[in-house]
Formats: sequence, C-alpha cells, structure tokens
Amino acid sequence: MGVVSRFSGTRTLTPRTCLIVDDSRIIRKVARRIIEGLGFEVDEAADGSEALAFCAGVIPEVILLDWSMPVMDGMTFLRRLRALPGGLAPKVLFCTIETRAERIAEALSAGADDYVMKPFDGEILTSKFAEVGAV
Amino acid sequence: MTPDDFDRLQSLMSSRTGFRLTRDRMKLAEHRLGPVARREGFETVDAMLASLWAKPVASLGWSVIEALLNPETWFRRDRASFDTLARELLPALSKARGGQPVRIWAAGCSTGQEAWSLAIAAQEAGAAVEIVATDLSQRALEKARSGAYTGFEIQRGLKAETMLRWFDQAEDAWIARAELRATVHFARANLIDPPADDHRFDIIFCRHVLVDADPARRGEILDNLERRLVNDGCLFLGPDEQPDGDSIAFRPVAGRKGLFVKSPAALRRAA
Repeated sequence: MGVVSRFSGTRTLTPRTCLIVDDSRIIRKVARRIIEGLGFEVDEAADGSEALAFCAGVIPEVILLDWSMPVMDGMTFLRRLRALPGGLAPKVLFCTIETRAERIAEALSAGADDYVMKPFDGEILTSKFAEVGAV
Repeated sequence: MTPDDFDRLQSLMSSRTGFRLTRDRMKLAEHRLGPVARREGFETVDAMLASLWAKPVASLGWSVIEALLNPETWFRRDRASFDTLARELLPALSKARGGQPVRIWAAGCSTGQEAWSLAIAAQEAGAAVEIVATDLSQRALEKARSGAYTGFEIQRGLKAETMLRWFDQAEDAWIARAELRATVHFARANLIDPPADDHRFDIIFCRHVLVDADPARRGEILDNLERRLVNDGCLFLGPDEQPDGDSIAFRPVAGRKGLFVKSPAALRRAA
C-alpha cells in the first residue's frame, strides 16, 4: 500500500520477520495468527531472556513485547536489545495490560516505537504495524 | 421482524436518509433494534415496529433510523488521506487563505474519530483550521462531542505517541484535549438536505458514506456536497469510492486515491 519496508531493497524474497515476546501462550497464539496474516514469519519467546538469546542470533524486523514477564521483563529486554549491534533496527511494539499514560510514556522514551494496550484485536494490531511503517 | 417490516425499514431509511439498508443487514438490523425497543419501553422489536407503522412518531422513527446507520469509523482511517491533507493540502491552502483558517467539513463523522484525526493533522501541520463535523445520528454526535474513547477505540489508528500528545487519560477513557476541541464544532445534519445557507468549505471529508447510499440518492448527496464546496475545493471520499460516472463537478486527482477537486462553476456550465 505504498509503504515500502526499509528492508525491501535487500530482502525482497525473504518474508519479513516478527518476534512475539509474551509469557502467555494464548496471547502468543492470538498475536501470531494476526501477524502471520500480515505476511510475517513469526517466532516466539516466553520472556525477555529467551528473546535476547534469539536476537543475539538474528534480529527480527518487528518485535511485539509484553512488559511484565518472569526471568526478564520487557523493559530490561528493550534496553539490552537497543545496545546490541543492529539492535536499533527493529520496530518494537509494547503489548501489555499496563495502560497508565505515564507508563506508556516511559516505554516510548525507553525506545519503543509504539504501544498496544491489551485487550487488542486484529484491526488494532494491523493499524499499529501500519503506523510504524512495518506494513 | 417480518420481511414486510424489513421492506418498510428499507424505504424509511432511503426516504429519510438516503441510506441503503441492504437485505444482508436484516439480522444486524434486528440485533441493533433490540436496545432501541428496550429504551423506548417496548417488549419486543416487533411490538416497536408495529407501533411505528400504526402511528409514526418522529422521535421513535429517528431512534430507529439512527440505530440502522453504519457507525463504523476509526482514527486516521485510510491514513494516506490524512497524510495528503497534512503534507500537501494544508500548507498550500493556509498560504492561499492568507492566515484565515482553512474550512473543513467532516460530513458523516459518526462518533468523531475522523474529526479529531483532522484536528490532529492540522495541529501537527501548524495550520489554522475550522472543522465542522456533522452526522445524522444524535447518539453518535453525543459520543463525538464527549471526545472520550475507550482504550480499544483510541488505539485503533492512533500511535501511542499521538494518543499521549492529544488525549488526556481519565480512568478508563482517553479524552480529546482542549486544543483539539477548540477547532472542531459538531452539529447534526442530513446529507440529503440541500444547504440552507451559503457557508462554504475548502475541504470536505465524506468517506464511506456514498458506499452505503441508495444509488438513486447518491446524486443528491453529491450535489449537496458540491454546493458546500468552494471552486477548486477538495473532496475526500473513501479510497474505493468515486462520484457517479457522469459527474463533471469533480475531477479525480492522479495518484491520490479518493481525492477529487471541484471544477470551477464556469467550466461546468461550458461543458
């Protein structure tokens, strides 16, 4: 729809990639279905530590990130991700039940590109992906 | 609801509003009329309709009509139109208007998301605007005027950054800030009524209205929009909508889906 992925020049043949980081298997499943529908290849991680290990190997283009998780929370993951080589590239969308304005502002200033308040649906997630230029 | 009830609803909608109540909306209509019947003190939808047909009461008629309109809307719906407005049209029009506010009409604004999206686009473009947002539904307008949206509604189309910048959080609602409110005026209007005054707009947003209009009444609606638009004014429809084939009043703008420019009156007379 006129928005060209910034990776399209070099990676036109490989699907775009998204990592879903959430300790709820149900949320991961719901989000996966929506995001695959947007044409992404999706991987999952159950906490920030798993996600960080994943990103040490390959950095996805979009990361959907829960805040409160066991082992390593989303905010810690985000700060460490942004310090990795290539870690500034991915679009990071927080996706959490935390809806207070000051917490949302905190997430954005820590380097999140956008913020999804749970509950969400396909239309919300699609519009968020569009607004950050991921689709 | 009997097929006869539905036929009557169809003609009520078409004659009063120009809205085409398609047959596939029969179940939806029944579902939407349930709460109206309860509110108006009827046992059932059938009882309410029987009463309406026997003794048409304007207020009940309009409650029924409002419930059957299509209220679907969200923030920055068809994002490209808002980008065209903010980056291309508003800078040029503000200059042409010499500091006078650019006059924008959101025709069929439903619950207000379009009007607020226009106000945000204008503020972020640094353009002075006067936005008039109209709808036929009083209930939709009440919500629009409140400027209050749930978490679910607010994030449909808005980035978190934009939401935080232009809306205040109050318990479970996100409420449009005073800076936005100062630029938007909400009013009730029926798009099949010809203009009763000579107020004109530089830009009209009327998206996803014609698609739901009875084909026999689309021409009237377009005529009324055209009469409200200055020469060379811009009409935004939905990206898949267009004025009727034989319309010479509006020229499509190449590369800008859903955008049409009003031809000067002299040209149309010559043609």
